[in-house]
Amino acid sequence: MKQAHCIYQNEDHRWLAIARDPGKPGFIVDTNEYLVMSGEDALLCDPGGIEIFPSVFSALSSECDPTRLSGIFASHQDPDIISSLALWLEFKPDLKCYISTLWQTFLPHFGGDESTFVPIPDPGMTIRVGGLELQAIPAHYLHSSGNFNLYDPKAKILFSGDVGAALLPADHNDLYVQDFSRHIRHAEGFHKRWMGSDRAKRDWCERVSRLEIDMMVPQHGAIYQGADVQRFIHWFSALEVGVLRG
Amino acid sequence: MNAPEPRKHLAQSHSGELARIVRVNEEIKAIVATAFRINLMALNAIFLAKRAGNAALGFGVLSNELRRFAQDLTRHMAALREMTSGSVGSVTGVVQHQRNAAILAEAIRLSGDQVKGVRDVHRRGLARLAQQQARLRALDKKLRAAVEETQQLVELGGVLARSAKIEAAYGGGFSPALMQVSTDFAEVIAQIKRSLEVLGKERLVKD
Repeated sequence: MKQAHCIYQNEDHRWLAIARDPGKPGFIVDTNEYLVMSGEDALLCDPGGIEIFPSVFSALSSECDPTRLSGIFASHQDPDIISSLALWLEFKPDLKCYISTLWQTFLPHFGGDESTFVPIPDPGMTIRVGGLELQAIPAHYLHSSGNFNLYDPKAKILFSGDVGAALLPADHNDLYVQDFSRHIRHAEGFHKRWMGSDRAKRDWCERVSRLEIDMMVPQHGAIYQGADVQRFIHWFSALEVGVLRG
Repeated sequence: MNAPEPRKHLAQSHSGELARIVRVNEEIKAIVATAFRINLMALNAIFLAKRAGNAALGFGVLSNELRRFAQDLTRHMAALREMTSGSVGSVTGVVQHQRNAAILAEAIRLSGDQVKGVRDVHRRGLARLAQQQARLRALDKKLRAAVEETQQLVELGGVLARSAKIEAAYGGGFSPALMQVSTDFAEVIAQIKRSLEVLGKERLVKD
């Protein structure tokens, strides 16, 4: 079963990573979910697919009263990101779901109605959670055409969605990247194939280089912290993307 | 790794409900196709009776009645088809609610009873599921009543086919041809009866 790990805490401002599920069926891609808490509010980033809802819900409940959830941030529209939406809405029908304006009319196929969705315009927007002002940072075409990261300037954490994702072997259970050069081998194929635009990649690298980031937390694989964040940005900036092989 | 056991059962029960709808639809399609065939056969029979003249006057009248029967049957089947199309929405609703209820139950099992409100959510979900199932049961009852009505109509068709067979005996030189046509009618109507029996046994929901 998944477990919630506190990766940042400053009084009532917390980030939880819900990661690593050894009991997960092998045919489902492993995902990380993140919960940002401040005061009485909580925002769940990329809540995951319908099949893993019990595991995510249980891990979240162990650390946080789920009635505090005020919103869901979906980096993009994929099923492993947001197909559990209907179940979260069963639990809290007034939940708001932040998603790129591009996907606003597509996501109701997973659940919710017109009052559920808060469309994020292409340049991004501020999302308030308790006393925090989180920034939805554009990451379009990385990999989805309407794609956002979420930046917390106080915690200096960037939730990077699929950017930085690594498809790790089953026995790699570390929450944080331990050895960048070894880790990045598991990220290379994914980024080459899934990230389709070199121009979008360069824009993103430039944009996030201007941010102060202590931790970059992706939706798959381990968390980059400290110098590994800049290492990743340099590595990504030099990587040839949008290629089938090589 | 395989799917956890409870999910497997869930998948089987979903496929069962949708499979029942598919079977009902397939039977209806088969009957509609047969009704169309009777309509064509009746038209041919009318022409044949005309050619036979006075000797096949009674056969001609019965052929006209059989044609009307085929048209009535087509209308009945169209109504049945509409009912099953409507039931697809209800079955889908039941399937979705069942799946959500099972996943929520698993979430409660893993997180324990202490999570606020989670039991209420589960109860609300089960109440919605019960509503959808009640709607489906009402549709099922309506469908069964409609099938029974169609069975009565087909009984009348059977009587017409038997009468046509008797009339064919008086068809003079055309008698063998008229006999062949009336036998075909009887066979096709027997086929429809069998399909309706199957349809009458199908249930959109388990009792």
